[in-house]
Amino acid sequence: MSLDLNGAVVRRGAFRLSADLSIPAEGITVVFGPSGAGKSMLLSAIAGLHKLSAGRLAFNGRVLEDVDQRIRVPAHDRAVGLVFQNARLFPHLTVRGNLHFAESRRPAARNAPIALEIARTLEFEDLLDRPVHNLSGGERSRVALARAIVSAPELLLLDEPFAALDGRRRRDFARQLKDHCRDQGVPMIVVTHQVEEAAELASHIVAVRAGRVVCEGKPADVMMRPDFMGLLDPRDRGAWIQGAAGFAPGDGVWVRADSVLLASREPVGISARNVWPGRIASIARESDGSILVSLATGKGYILSRITPDAHAELKFEEGVAAWAIVKAHAL
Amino acid sequence: MLRAMLTAEELQILSTSLGVAGRAVLFSLPVAILFAWALSRPRFPGQSVLNTIAHLPLVLPPVLVGYLLLLAFGVNGPLGGWLKQSFGIQLALTAEGAALATAVMAFPLMVRAIRLSFEATDGGLFEAAAVLRASPWDRFWSLALPLAWPGVLSGAVVAFAAGLGEFGAVITFASNIEGETQTLPLAINAALNTPGRDDVAFRLAAISLVAAIVGLLAAEGLQRWARRRLEG
Repeated sequence: MSLDLNGAVVRRGAFRLSADLSIPAEGITVVFGPSGAGKSMLLSAIAGLHKLSAGRLAFNGRVLEDVDQRIRVPAHDRAVGLVFQNARLFPHLTVRGNLHFAESRRPAARNAPIALEIARTLEFEDLLDRPVHNLSGGERSRVALARAIVSAPELLLLDEPFAALDGRRRRDFARQLKDHCRDQGVPMIVVTHQVEEAAELASHIVAVRAGRVVCEGKPADVMMRPDFMGLLDPRDRGAWIQGAAGFAPGDGVWVRADSVLLASREPVGISARNVWPGRIASIARESDGSILVSLATGKGYILSRITPDAHAELKFEEGVAAWAIVKAHAL
Repeated sequence: MLRAMLTAEELQILSTSLGVAGRAVLFSLPVAILFAWALSRPRFPGQSVLNTIAHLPLVLPPVLVGYLLLLAFGVNGPLGGWLKQSFGIQLALTAEGAALATAVMAFPLMVRAIRLSFEATDGGLFEAAAVLRASPWDRFWSLALPLAWPGVLSGAVVAFAAGLGEFGAVITFASNIEGETQTLPLAINAALNTPGRDDVAFRLAAISLVAAIVGLLAAEGLQRWARRRLEG
């Protein structure tokens, strides 16, 4: 059970996206990459809004597009839902009308939540009779997600679903996504350029850059690879570690190197609850002069960014023991 | 109120005019919507031919349009003869004929207003509908048409107001028959050509002017109302 892209090529103007991929049809796959990498275009192509110029696309064995065989299932027959970054709610309908649009067009056999249920789950029951033009950005995002869920897709694509949300809403929304994915068994593909979101959501990750897939696989494997690190802004560098909650998908946490302190002796009498012992695996000097230290701990590798002064004073070398101190809010 | 202000003759002329313009809009609106939709789509073969046909009445002399209609729909014309024989319908020299001539002349106005409305709709909404399983036909009815509604309404009202004033095509195809095809401009023309009826012509001209202004104001108002409904 998977979504397969074989030699798929999508073009828009001079931009070319090529993908040879097999994405598991379960859990949450995160498509990660910097802006302009072609992430949204990949979603558009899977949804059928953008034609392939070469290659083949199939979902769970059903061919959705095959350029050589001139097969192309139109977007409305793919059963692939897409939540756009800008929500795209229908302006002539109320919130309820938008949900009803989706509900009235889904096949009767598909078992999915009805409009009212989903409005309750996503906590916007009181907005149902509002026209969509006076909703806030966050409200629009939730209604757009609800609309897509109500249409009972077999695969749900989400393009930067958290863009319009602030901290707490972001976390709630992520939880709701994961809950829905688990409860309804609907596989999702989420596009994001935020590494924390990627770590938090992904059960599988595909990293793209400039129209090419850089690497893909389980986050624990992919997110620590040098080619993945190469995609990140220096300030975003960090480490993927197993989350405390321990549920799939998205059981990881991204710990930025900036939020990890290092100690050369076991710290005593400090407020941080997460102190992990380990051995220094590597030390690298960054282009801005800071030192990136990789520590092998029982949780996996942890990165810490320290100043050259601290490095000189603490005399860190590969192989010596050190303790990583992580503030709880980073987890 | 109108009854107190207007003479029986004027009421008759006004009601003929309203009837002719109303029917003209009613019959040509669906066709105008189809044309406007087709013209607002990305380029396809034959689109410029369609565009030319839609705009032809705008540049042809109205008398010529009336004459062409007479050739086609006259009792001896290919379409007119067929209509007469198969259904007993005669268009030339009737109020229905006046409505047809008016419809043809107002057609480009309607197509233009509706087309602009279709073109102004955010294409992203159609993509959003497509991934919610709406077929192209479904998207037309459930999205394109309701969203273009302000343009459709104002196109219809402008065409109606313009239809009240159509002269050349109507007089050529439907002639000037009192109580049947004599609309406001035809009656004004007849009054001007009859000695001693200048005051009648003046009153009819005033009625015409008021009707046109009310029509334009109504189109503007409808459009504003509809836009408020969509954008808040």
